[in-house]
Parts: sequence; C-alpha cells; structure tokens
Amino acid sequence: MSSLLKNRLQEERKQWRKDHPYGFFAKPEKSADGSLNLQSWTAGVPGKDNTIWENATYPLTITFPNDFPSKPPKVRLPAGFYHPNVYPSGTICLSILNEDQDWRPGINLKQILLGVQELLDTPNPDSPAQEPAWRAFGKDRALYEKKVIEQAKKYAKAG
Amino acid sequence: MSRVEGLKCVLGDDTYRKIRNAKVLLVGAGGIGCELLKDLILLGYSEVHVVDLDTIDLSNLNRQFLFRHKDIKQPKASTAVNAVQSFNFFKTKLVPYQASIYETDLFPMSWFEQFDLIFNALDNIQARSYINKVALLLNKTVMESGTTGTNGQAQPTFPYHTECYDCLHRETPKTFPVCTIRSTPSQPVHCIHWAKSFLFTSLFSEDDEPVVQPEGKDTGELGTDNQQEIANLISENNELVELKRSIASEDFVDKVIAKVFTKDIENLLKISDLWKTRKQPTPLEYNNQIKEKVLKISKEEIGTGQREWTLEQNLKVFIDSTLALQKRIAIEKEIEFDKDDEDTLNFVASATNIRSHIFSIPLKAKFDIKSIAGNIIPAIATTNAIIAGFSALLSLKQFDESYENRIQNSKAVFTVSNSDKFVSPSMLQSPNPKCATCSAVRGVAHFDTSKTLNDLLGALQSTYGLDEEISLSLGSNLLYDIDFDDNVEKTLKEMGIVDGVLLNVADETDKYQSVKGGDLKLPDIKMAEKPPVEEKEENDQDDEEDGVELINDNDDDLLIVDVKEATSPDKRKAKAQDYDDTHVTKKPKTDSEIEIVE
Repeated sequence: MSSLLKNRLQEERKQWRKDHPYGFFAKPEKSADGSLNLQSWTAGVPGKDNTIWENATYPLTITFPNDFPSKPPKVRLPAGFYHPNVYPSGTICLSILNEDQDWRPGINLKQILLGVQELLDTPNPDSPAQEPAWRAFGKDRALYEKKVIEQAKKYAKAG
Repeated sequence: MSRVEGLKCVLGDDTYRKIRNAKVLLVGAGGIGCELLKDLILLGYSEVHVVDLDTIDLSNLNRQFLFRHKDIKQPKASTAVNAVQSFNFFKTKLVPYQASIYETDLFPMSWFEQFDLIFNALDNIQARSYINKVALLLNKTVMESGTTGTNGQAQPTFPYHTECYDCLHRETPKTFPVCTIRSTPSQPVHCIHWAKSFLFTSLFSEDDEPVVQPEGKDTGELGTDNQQEIANLISENNELVELKRSIASEDFVDKVIAKVFTKDIENLLKISDLWKTRKQPTPLEYNNQIKEKVLKISKEEIGTGQREWTLEQNLKVFIDSTLALQKRIAIEKEIEFDKDDEDTLNFVASATNIRSHIFSIPLKAKFDIKSIAGNIIPAIATTNAIIAGFSALLSLKQFDESYENRIQNSKAVFTVSNSDKFVSPSMLQSPNPKCATCSAVRGVAHFDTSKTLNDLLGALQSTYGLDEEISLSLGSNLLYDIDFDDNVEKTLKEMGIVDGVLLNVADETDKYQSVKGGDLKLPDIKMAEKPPVEEKEENDQDDEEDGVELINDNDDDLLIVDVKEATSPDKRKAKAQDYDDTHVTKKPKTDSEIEIVE
C-alpha cells in the first residue's frame, strides 16, 4: 500500500471527524482485531427535507481501492435500491465517481456523500441504471413517488 | 604503470583509499546491472553484493553482455559475478544472491545497514519504491538509474535532502474499459488486449467457470450502462466457455472463427445504439471457398512477421496456431501467453489483425504486436552502458568527508535523443514538501509490546509534547484517534504492534510541521510549530484543484518503525520510551508497504 493512500485515508478520517454535514454519518469498518479499516467505510446519507426522500437515512458502503485517490472509491447503496441511477447491485451511477468522467483525486468523502444526497432527488434520466425506477420516473411519476416513499419508510430515521 | 597506480592517478589517493574500503549493494543484474557491475569492479570497490531474483533468458543476451547462450536459465546474480572474475583486477569481493529484495529473512534492515552506498539497477516502480523506503529509514544514499530506449537517467538521492523516488507522482497504468475491448475497439492496442487477455485466456488458460455476473461487475469497469450491450457481453462469454468444451473436436478452429469473427460481430451490430457515432464493424466472411484459398498459403509467404500480413495470411496463421495449441492443450492442460512462445504469439497476432480488419483498424506486423502484447520496453545496450557509467562516476562524489559537499557536487544526468545535446546534467531537486513518503519523519523505536495502547499514547505525548489529538495507525488500519478509544486498554501486541511493523503516528491538531528529518533516534525528533497560516476558505464541489493539497497536507507525521518486543526479563521492565536503534529487519506486505522486524 502506498504512502499516498495511507495518508489520504487518514486525512479523510480526520476531516470527517472534525467537520461533517448534519444528519450524515461515515465510519470505517471494524476489523476482527478491533482496529478500524480505513479502506472500507459505512455511511448514511439523509434524504433532503421536503422531498419524497425525507425522513430517512440511506445506508452506503464505500470501498477505497489501493490506487485511490488516482481511482475513485466504489460507493454502493443496498442491492435492489429503487432509484433510476442505481444499478440492481446497488452501485451508484454518478459522474464524480467515474474515473472516465468527473472523478478528481481532490474530491473528498464529504463531497461524495453530498453528491449522493443530491442525486437522490435529482435523478439523471439520461443514464438509466435500472429498468423499474427509470421507467416509472419517466412514464408513471405517481408510481415512482409511491415506491420512493415506501422505500423511505424502510430506511426511516430511528425515533 | 600498474593498474593500481593508474587507478590512484585517476581517483586521487584519498578517494582511492576510501573506495578500496567501500562496500556497496547493487540491486539488479540485468541491462544496467551488468554494465554497472563491470564499472564498479574496475573502479576498485572493495565489496559488491549483487541481488537479482531472475534467471537468464534468451532475450537478455543482446545487451546483458556478461551472459552467454550457455547461461540461459542460470541465475543472473551468480552468473554475472562469475563472468567478471576474469577482469576482477582489484580483487573486489563479490557476493551474489538469487532472491527477491523484499525477502526480509534474507535481507533484514540490519543487512542493508552494512552498505556505504546502494546502486539501483532495477526495471520496475515497486522495487525502486521499496529501496527508496529502505534508504529513508536507514539514511542511505541511493544511486538511481533507468533507461527507456535512448532516454535514460542516473540520479543520486540523499534522503530528506534531495528529491526521493516517491516525490514525483507517477501515472497509474492506463486501463481500458471492458466495453472498449469487447465491443467497440478503435485502436490496434484494444484488439491486442482482446486477443491476448480475453480470447486466448478464455480458450487456453482459464478454467471454464461461468463468467461475468451482470450485477457483480460495476459500471466503472465495464464502462457502459447499455443493458443490451452488457447482456451481449455475457452471452458472448458463455458461448465461448461452451466452445472451449469442444476444444478437442476436429472442427474447433472453424467454430472459433465462425463465432468470434462472424457471429459475435453480427450480434454487436444488432445493438444499434453502439454504432450511432461509430463506424460499423464488418463481420468476417469465411466460407469454404475462402478457406481453400487460405489453406494454400505457404510458410514462405508468411515469413518471419516483420511485415504486415494480409487478411488471408492472418487467417492462415490463426488456423495453424490454433491447431498447434489445440494439440498442445491435450497434454499441457493450460497454456499461458508468452511472447517468446511462437504458437501463442502467432495466435494473438493473427487474432488481433483479423479483429482489426473487422473494425477497420490498421493491421500491425507480428513484430509490433509482440512488443505491445509482451509489454516490451525497448532496451538499448548503449544507453544502458552510458547510464551505468554515469551512475558509477557519480558515486565517486560520495567519498567527500562533508555530506553537504557530496550533495552539492552531485548531479542528475539525463540522456535525451531528440535534443541538441544527448547528455544533460541537472541540479538535484529539493524534496517535494508534499511527498507522502519522505515528508514523514521516521525512526526506529523499541518497546515492550505487553504494554497497553494507553501506555504508548502516554509515552508519545510525554516524549514529544503531543496532546491527545493524535492518531495511530498500521497501514490503513486505524488503531486510535480522539474519537476512537475502544482499544486503549488492549496491549500493543493484541493491536498488532509487534516486531517489525510500521506504525504511523500523526498529530491531528495541525499545530506542527515536521522538521528536517533523517535522524533515526526518535527522541531527537523535535516538533516545530507551524507558522500561522491563513484560514483556507471552505468550498465544496467546485474545489477541484485544491484536492492535492488535502492529500498531502499531513506533513506532521512521525513514523515509528521497529517496535521491538522485549524478550529478556531486563528488557521487559523497560519503559515504552526506552528506545534504541540496534538491529532492524524488514518484512514486506503484499503491496509495497514496509514492515520492520527485529
């Protein structure tokens, strides 16, 4: 593992620890020996208020590859997540997470998670990643909203 | 005049005396290594240890002049050492090792300690980076060298005083998205990839396991979100696995041609979205008439592969090599692509060209395909000799009593073929302050691993005047920071801080900057307060350029190396802050990470 990766991940942890947006969480996963694996994180992104995504926190897994930050991290929602730009596997189709598009080594965790939050309510109909949500979003908005609200209940904030 | 007198004349008495007592390490006995070994013994170095993992290959002989045809398959290190004995005029002691330099049982840190200088004659980034880290830990000067074709450079590196190997960011090798390789190639190299890594591997080297899960692969790798295309890729794959099962059948080669060059292309054409902006491919037309014509082509007509083949000639080579591989696989079970294995190279070269033809991409001669598919970096004996020569000459500057003078008098040397001057010297650059590798302060620490993490924290705080806001990590595993104190009661051993690990201690208050390091004894490292900086404005998405800043911002690290486990009862009583820097050894992780072992 390169020093660059190690330093950068420490920096991500430090930055996040010191400052992160309200309602979000992000923490590295615990290894068997009790240490935290900085290459593998879980995170929660709150749906924006006054949208059909509100009152829920959507869980993410973030995996930083060995060549991060040259390559972007892999960010996933749960498999089967209902959103036009989320693949059936949960992989998110977002330009800032794509090496060939808008990924830059300077993009940090906070920007990624804010990007995902933004994407939730503003899907990009031009890059469909799954059939059901994409079709409903374009052709049957009522059904789409119903499904999204159902899903929000599933990930409703505790309490 | 005797040789000794001659050498004294050239070097001067002082340097002569010192060089006759100098012990150096040469890492690599290949193109540059052979040249350098010759140079070093002719300069009268007292002792040269040569490390090379490799054995000699036919393709080495054109430039690695210490090797002969009879030496093929022999270890490079010992063969080189034996070869130079005939002109070892100054009785240099030579010690060869056929081993990987990462081998810590063989090459512990204490072993590196014995050398006055390290000469790199390596051919890869990983090993150079490893030696760089060793040099930073032990404060050794490294004579770095490398060539590509007629370009080359020789450069001394002085830890913490001049640019280290990691100070310059290197591009990661370009990878191609799966869809470019499989569905929409536009360059010869895409077709080479397809022929070598997909077609050849699927047919001759892989187990026939089911391939590509539609959802398991994420889009970043596939490079497409066209569901039809993805579905097509998968069925293409499965059919190939199916085809592989019939590898023993007589009409195997006809089936392969019909599938990969005709049917697969026809299927691709059905995905009309792909061809809106691209030129459509043309499926190969292959019938009995063409087949007859192809089979009549003679060996002479094919030639040695220096010039491009016609489509028919490519088909002939494809058929012949497939038949040959088909026969071999019955015995060998699995065949790996090897640029020096004619059957595999013929298969890949002809498959590449047939595919290129289909996609209207220029065809390439087998010779060119060989150099791309085999990842051959052109190596020129003359450049190697020049660069090795400079590396050896620059080493003479390293015998000055004053370390400052050594740095002042050292230059980097570059050769560039397309300028007026073939050889140009260059001042050594200062270390990149943002270098993630050499901006950290390193040292060797020894302590009792039955103590708790809390004890270590206390020791670090009292020794360096740090406050609670520090983090401890091993590689990418975080052991402690101010918001994560779950482990403080655990022993160091439980947390994996054992013999030889590399522990990273980072101040997170942003109060400190590292001082010019290079000293191994931790207690000597002093922290200087950072000069006040203007608060940086925080802005979000549009803050692209600033990112690099963030990466390397922690110039306040301490790297403590070699946490020594106390073994004797005396040592057990020793307090955590009792450091000494005796013997250190080193163990690699899978990547280039360094661990230090006692």
